[in-house]
Amino acid sequence: MATLTQLVITGLGVVSPFGAGVEVLWEALLAGETAIRTLSLFDTGVHRTSIAAQVPGVRAGLIRRSSKGGHLDRVTRTDQFALTAAREAMGTAKLLPGSSEMARAGLFFGSSTGGMLEAESIVMAAGLGHGKYSHVGGQAECAPANALAREVGIGGPAETIASACSASTMAFEAAFMSLTSGEVSLALVGGSDGLCELTYAGFNSLRAVDSCPARPFRQDREGLSIGEGSGVLVIESLEHALDRGVEPLAVLAGTGTSCDAHHMTAPHPEGRGAWRAMTQALGAQVGASSTVDFVNTHGTGTPHNDLSEGRALKRLLGDRLAQVPVTATKGSVGHLLGACGALEAVVTVLCLQHRRLPPVPGAGPLDPEVEIDLCLGQPRELTSCRSALSVNLAFGGANAAIHLGRYEGKSE
Amino acid sequence: MRPVVVTGLGTLSSPGAGEECLAAALRNGVPITGEVDRSEGLHGPHFARTACLLPRDVMDPWLSTRQARRMSPASRMAVVAAAMAVKDAGMEEGSFAGDEAAVALGTAFGSTSFTYKLLKQIRDEGALAVSPFLFMETVANAHAGQVALAHSATGANFTISQREASGLLALCRGADLVRHGRSSRVLAGAVDEVSPIQHAALAAYRALARDAMGVERAQVFGANRSGFLVAEGATIWMLEDEQAARGRGAPLRARIAAIVRANDCTAEATDWGVGHQHLGSQLRAGLARQGIDLDSIDRVVSGASGALRGDRLEGLTLISAFGAKALPPILCPKAVTGEYGGGFLAAALMALDGVDWRLARTLGEVDPNIDLRPHGGESMGPAQRVLVTSLATGGAGCWLVLERSD
Repeated sequence: MATLTQLVITGLGVVSPFGAGVEVLWEALLAGETAIRTLSLFDTGVHRTSIAAQVPGVRAGLIRRSSKGGHLDRVTRTDQFALTAAREAMGTAKLLPGSSEMARAGLFFGSSTGGMLEAESIVMAAGLGHGKYSHVGGQAECAPANALAREVGIGGPAETIASACSASTMAFEAAFMSLTSGEVSLALVGGSDGLCELTYAGFNSLRAVDSCPARPFRQDREGLSIGEGSGVLVIESLEHALDRGVEPLAVLAGTGTSCDAHHMTAPHPEGRGAWRAMTQALGAQVGASSTVDFVNTHGTGTPHNDLSEGRALKRLLGDRLAQVPVTATKGSVGHLLGACGALEAVVTVLCLQHRRLPPVPGAGPLDPEVEIDLCLGQPRELTSCRSALSVNLAFGGANAAIHLGRYEGKSE
Repeated sequence: MRPVVVTGLGTLSSPGAGEECLAAALRNGVPITGEVDRSEGLHGPHFARTACLLPRDVMDPWLSTRQARRMSPASRMAVVAAAMAVKDAGMEEGSFAGDEAAVALGTAFGSTSFTYKLLKQIRDEGALAVSPFLFMETVANAHAGQVALAHSATGANFTISQREASGLLALCRGADLVRHGRSSRVLAGAVDEVSPIQHAALAAYRALARDAMGVERAQVFGANRSGFLVAEGATIWMLEDEQAARGRGAPLRARIAAIVRANDCTAEATDWGVGHQHLGSQLRAGLARQGIDLDSIDRVVSGASGALRGDRLEGLTLISAFGAKALPPILCPKAVTGEYGGGFLAAALMALDGVDWRLARTLGEVDPNIDLRPHGGESMGPAQRVLVTSLATGGAGCWLVLERSD
């Protein structure tokens, strides 16, 4: 049961490599599908691998569109993901762009590439023309948040967390602090990232990309699959939601962040920082993990990440490790980098709502060193579904976790 | 919420390392600039030529060649400024470490030099030739990660990128971590490097101050302003839980009295908006909610930089916020420190202790359309409360009130 001051999630929206919309994503996940396929956005002939999870039907390049003020505005492909996901989230939450509610709302967003796809074209093109610099403006990590703030009329804080793959999970922590302090009464939280050659070549240079679709927690896993898309959630206090006549979808019970301070790209081998982020999200209370009935892991499919994360979960859940089922969304949609935390939070809310856990696609034996109960084959019906953790880990050792609870109604 | 104090400052700017160099430049009222490398042919013939660049070798006393080897220029700056802040806060080496130690850095651009190098590697040598080391440092949070590594800081680790407001937003988020009991000590601030590609892009957007009488100068709030001077550097504050800081006998430089954040949704992605009335009312209401009377603010350290539309928005926002009340003296250190790199945040902290800056030299005639006259260079003693402002292209706005902690 939630108390009136507790934070609840009232809106969900996504653009995933399965297409736009929460329903599209959820059905594909339950069916055990993967959206990791041959990449067509740019020429992969020069790269070590050739697959990724690409959002279908959205062209590269700056799109000129009419803004609120009537003048033409330019948005990147990544901006478009954010705008589409936000429209869906706001629709669920019964919010209108440009309303007085949005003028008081905050926006907390994560991104790691912004519009790099459009910006890198000026360097990639032989002979740099000065006129092409207009493409650079969209490159900033804050570009999707700026486009979204402008589109929906955000009047409160607007903040972009650029902490790589933990960015949008950390955005929850920023929102959590701003909401609980009364700085804002409602927050849009999310992330958006798009595929580009820089990250594609970069992760390949680290030998972190699997030539096959990512196989999180499998014994023969060889790396991640890069993805793209956006997730946006609406968060407010229960009291605020009920006053607006909106039914909560889930409870945001806590957030946690930490740093490994161990290595710039490799996680702490024992998952120390990941464990700390998860513990903090649970309120650092002894026994708090006993209410966690499933975990949506970072689960990238890289040998180091999955092992480290598994060890962190073992330390957190102890004897319950084998009883707490685990999923890894990246096996289906790839690694959305700065947006993965937001999209995976949406998936975690859907799991709580439907009491079902989607399977992780793929075949092959599980890594015996990671003693988790990975959901495979068919969706798992959750007999106990009180709360869940969604976890993300990033370069620079930056870790973040959120604790989400099933909404069971208001306590008196 | 727990009170937060500032106990240390580390700053690297074009005048050099530390506060004294910066203070001297502010006293002189003249920015220290150098020519940006144009050998790549990225600049057009009429593009701006100069920027506030760090002196060569300024980081050497703080960073060994071995340490620096695997860092981008921006990461080096962040690590050095953090070390300076730790020292200034009176902490022994290694004592900042631990789960209560957080890092919150703002960067407008990240490591553009490494990003450019990496893209050129793909273009000229092929994707298989890409250096993993370069890639690692192109990530915007590399600087915060390197600071955490250098100090074994295993607490929260945030990187905020919101253009010109990145640094102040990061300071505020760092303060939030303490206020909410998430951390007891935070290294927070701003870092940015200047690379030829970034300089050329800003010049192409006509954002940079152009040649006037043989010199590029940011004429902040000036009638003939043509843009800002882009700067590189890092400024990092040590933020601490006041009780903990007092407990260890730390030097208390300031207390954070209020934080206000808002967005101007009239702004486009690469420009300032026109929503000064909204921003002004948000500022006024935010301060009132935190018990800050506008009359109690005795100086403003403005984020105005010489930007055409940015200065106008900044000035009109302040006028809107203060309404019928008289504006306190407005200090504009970005005329000397330049935009980005956090020099202005160092100046903000220094402004609490007193000011003898001669910023007027760079101003020229004041823009009659803003009707705001910046501080003209008279010496001022210590202040009780300083309002620090930062508005960004794209719409973000952030304000922080510093007060004396004694």
